[in-house]
Amino acid sequence: VLLPDSAMRVQIGDICCSITCDDREVAGSLHESYKNFISDKPADISVRLAVVDRLSAAEIKPILPRVEAVQKDFGFATTLLTFEGEYDAASRTLNMIAEKHLFDPSLKSRIMNRVLPLVYFTACGMQNGSKRPAMLLHACAIIRHQQAIIFTGPSGTGKTTIARLCGDTHGHILNDEMVLCSWPNGERHPPIVRGTPILGEVAHRLNTAAPLRCILMLKQAERTSLRRLHQMEAYLRIMCQVIAPRHFNTAHDDVAAMLLQNTEFSEILTEKVPFYELEFTLDKDVLWNVIAELEESLTKGELVA
Amino acid sequence: MTNQIAKVEDVIWRQIEDETVVLTADGLSLHVLNTTAAFIWELCDGTKGTEEIVSILCEHFDVVPEEAGSDVNDIIVKLEGLGLVKRI
Repeated sequence: VLLPDSAMRVQIGDICCSITCDDREVAGSLHESYKNFISDKPADISVRLAVVDRLSAAEIKPILPRVEAVQKDFGFATTLLTFEGEYDAASRTLNMIAEKHLFDPSLKSRIMNRVLPLVYFTACGMQNGSKRPAMLLHACAIIRHQQAIIFTGPSGTGKTTIARLCGDTHGHILNDEMVLCSWPNGERHPPIVRGTPILGEVAHRLNTAAPLRCILMLKQAERTSLRRLHQMEAYLRIMCQVIAPRHFNTAHDDVAAMLLQNTEFSEILTEKVPFYELEFTLDKDVLWNVIAELEESLTKGELVA
Repeated sequence: MTNQIAKVEDVIWRQIEDETVVLTADGLSLHVLNTTAAFIWELCDGTKGTEEIVSILCEHFDVVPEEAGSDVNDIIVKLEGLGLVKRI
């Protein structure tokens, strides 16, 4: 794919996505958002964003909760026409039109968070058929002592809270919303967790990777404690956090194959990686002490009950 | 109602810690089957009807045909309702 020199290229795991935008202000904002993920690799897929300024931020804000995205074979639209896109397979380009104020940070619409997974899965589909090189997990990941800990659970269970309790003191936040996980070195080695450009609530997002040490399923509670999860419980809970694969022009067989890959991935992950339920309060000293004790036990090869 | 029972196409199932977990074809729902349901699930291969499944169940478990028949019907109706099996 030939790209204009001005296009910004953003790395999402193994996939490089070119983004061009006809609005200087929005382009600048996107560049700032994705600055840690700017890439000079050849683009696998492109997003061409045309910005329209029909609605003010004050007009968009009240309708945002009612905006629903409807995916079509080769694109998507929204019920209230705030943004839409059409994918051109020949040029591997997603042509998007979006209201300018959707990109206002204060509105937190984060529409590119909906677009980037679609683009990632589409590019993976072109390169590897239905097989994805890495799985997208709805999770927060923090690097401590050169290893990643994944904190995950349904929305509202505290992924961002954990990132905030981490701050700059207790580790390096990879991402508090979505990470990639894969076995690039084979299943005998620990899986690798990689940061993504997906926007979370906290500003920290790192474009780096680390071996996965353990996965903690979050539960806010009156005390801070850990409970080892059996494989079945871990499997049922992590399956809900693996991002459902959808891409443009997804063939029926591809969807089935991608779902199968989700189940295989979750099974292997729950076999190979220790899973715990982490109940926690907002007392960060207690929280990080509990996690430090867990890390020490795992280093010694002990599994906390 | 003598139709053969088959798993719905594209339903995915895995054995996790000796239990059977089934993912619906749309990927939206996971179901954990108990021992009897998992046994019946394995037999839903499109070649057997409920009577044959009842007969096999009686051979493997200490259960009378009336009780087994009731269990098989209940479970197949539930699996059908969940979109996991179909009568062909």
